[in-house]
Amino acid sequence: MNNTVYLSYGTFVSPLGVGIEANFNALKNGESGVQLQPKSGFNQEDWYFSKINTLPENRYDTLLKLALADLKKQYSTAVLQDAQTLFIVSSTKGNIDALPNDVFASSREIIQKETNNPNNVIIISNACISGVLAINAAADYIQFSGYKTVIVIGIDVVSDFVLYGFQSLYALSDAPVQPFDKNRKGISLGEACGIVVLSKDQPSNFSVEYLGGASSNDANHISGPSRTGEGLFRAINKTIERNSIDKTNIDFISAHGTGTLYNDEMESIAFNRCELAHIPLNSLKGYFGHTLGAAGVIETLVAMFSIEHQLLFANKGFEELGTSQPLSIVQSTHSSSVKTVLKTASGFGGGNAALLIRALS
Amino acid sequence: MKIIASTYLSSKGAYLNGEKIVQFTDENWLKACYQHLALDYPKFYKMDNLSKMAVLGVELLANSGIFSQIDTNDLELLFANSNASQHTDLKFIDSYTVAKNPSPSLFVYTLPNILTGELAIKHKWYGENSFYISPNFDAQLFATKIHQAYKKGVNYCLCGWIDSKLEANSTLSEESFLFLVALNEENASLHQEIEQLMTQYNQKEKE
Amino acid sequence: MSELKETLKTQIISQLSLEDLTPADIADDMPLFAEDGLGLDSIDALEFIVLLESNYGLKIADPSQGREIFHSVNSLADFIEKNRN
Repeated sequence: MNNTVYLSYGTFVSPLGVGIEANFNALKNGESGVQLQPKSGFNQEDWYFSKINTLPENRYDTLLKLALADLKKQYSTAVLQDAQTLFIVSSTKGNIDALPNDVFASSREIIQKETNNPNNVIIISNACISGVLAINAAADYIQFSGYKTVIVIGIDVVSDFVLYGFQSLYALSDAPVQPFDKNRKGISLGEACGIVVLSKDQPSNFSVEYLGGASSNDANHISGPSRTGEGLFRAINKTIERNSIDKTNIDFISAHGTGTLYNDEMESIAFNRCELAHIPLNSLKGYFGHTLGAAGVIETLVAMFSIEHQLLFANKGFEELGTSQPLSIVQSTHSSSVKTVLKTASGFGGGNAALLIRALS
Repeated sequence: MKIIASTYLSSKGAYLNGEKIVQFTDENWLKACYQHLALDYPKFYKMDNLSKMAVLGVELLANSGIFSQIDTNDLELLFANSNASQHTDLKFIDSYTVAKNPSPSLFVYTLPNILTGELAIKHKWYGENSFYISPNFDAQLFATKIHQAYKKGVNYCLCGWIDSKLEANSTLSEESFLFLVALNEENASLHQEIEQLMTQYNQKEKE
Repeated sequence: MSELKETLKTQIISQLSLEDLTPADIADDMPLFAEDGLGLDSIDALEFIVLLESNYGLKIADPSQGREIFHSVNSLADFIEKNRN
């Protein structure tokens, strides 16, 4: 199948700002949304996380509406309500405040109200790999199911539910997250909404080529990563094989890097097994925190920034490598030739997913 | 594409390939099913209801020998339900609002895709997995995804609708519908076949 | 001691939401964390730490000590008896 699938910007809403430009500039300046949030823990502990302070009540719904409003500035009503346009939402918990009612009902309602799109909204809820899975699924809907445009919305908000949950797992860091670092102590949560647009036809604005992706399960443990990085190893290899890409042509890896001892160690093992340890690599969790269902989408957006601006962003929070296997961590934001990017994600349930994007020739 | 095996589980009974295997009368039907299958898998007891329903359903399929007849090397898991992990979410909330101690063993099940992880672990399946949320059972969603898998060269898909929903009267409505599809050729009526199979099971359940 | 063990079994079932089990299903010497025991894992070990603190006021200084203490109902009961007073 030789049909190019294009990937272009939708929008980006995070504590660093609203919109593509705002987030790109903030990243370039090294800003981080991860802040001390006093007495946020279950026993009033101080935790660090990345929060959009201006979101009022009903935070998930408000965030979604905000992002869609920005999207509508760039895409015509005609495109949004076209029968060949599909919406996919990637979220781990949806609007958790809706419990005991359906936490994803508002996502469907808001999208349909704001866009008048006639198709069912596809919702992917697959832990932290949801975003990468959603982008991969979007490409499948274009290549094999006749859609022309698929709009992928990755969104999650920080909630007591999730914060207390990670706290109960002893997975939170009491310092801002330090992905791959020797002193890393755990995750810093975050919230955001990222939107990317996949299309059959080349868009008029900046776009890259989506080459392909794959996922694989560790088949090992529901919340701890495989000690051999089996699932990530397979997902990356399948992604590379499916696209007949030469590993040597990958310029940059946007890894998952949550900052836990086990996850980051697992990734170092998997990347080495894949013989990719020499490729510049970072995690963006130091800027945005771990945004769960939004992560795969916002981090792919940043990978697009890297290709558009030929810029690699520093792995914020990193000082010294703390994994048993070597990695080429990007330590300072700098100009670099970036054409082909591998994005990876790993998550609860043993899921691992990867995708490849490339500058248009 | 061809549906080569299917199971259906609910509090009323278990079915394999359309035939009733066992009737449940106990409220604790999941445990009854586990014991009926003589499944020696202690981890079962820790699981949430979604994972239990998935594991039991797949065990019914496994006992029929179907997995030894096919190449499970790239078996793709395609799962969906209507309310994600609603039941466990509420229990987790209770753990910190009522019991005043957020429970890690409940928290890890507050994601619907954990059940695919449990299946992958038990059966050593390393293939693609994804979990979708739709308000009702959507045969078209499954048929579309299966077709996409076929085009990508996948040989078999294990699909599941593992649903647990709190009804208005606070009862839990649970069902586990699993079907295994062989992707050897196109099938324009797969969507209808899936729909019919689910309808047949729902009807049998009412009898 | 046997009363403590029975209480512990009830507490374990409750703390880990092992609704399908009754105290009779957990033998005193059953290896709680083994595959052929109760198949508990590192997540469940965290629950035990909570259980000891909430029900017995005992803090585990080093979570890695946990494996030994939580090996079975017997070892748990021993630990509680030794450290309770």
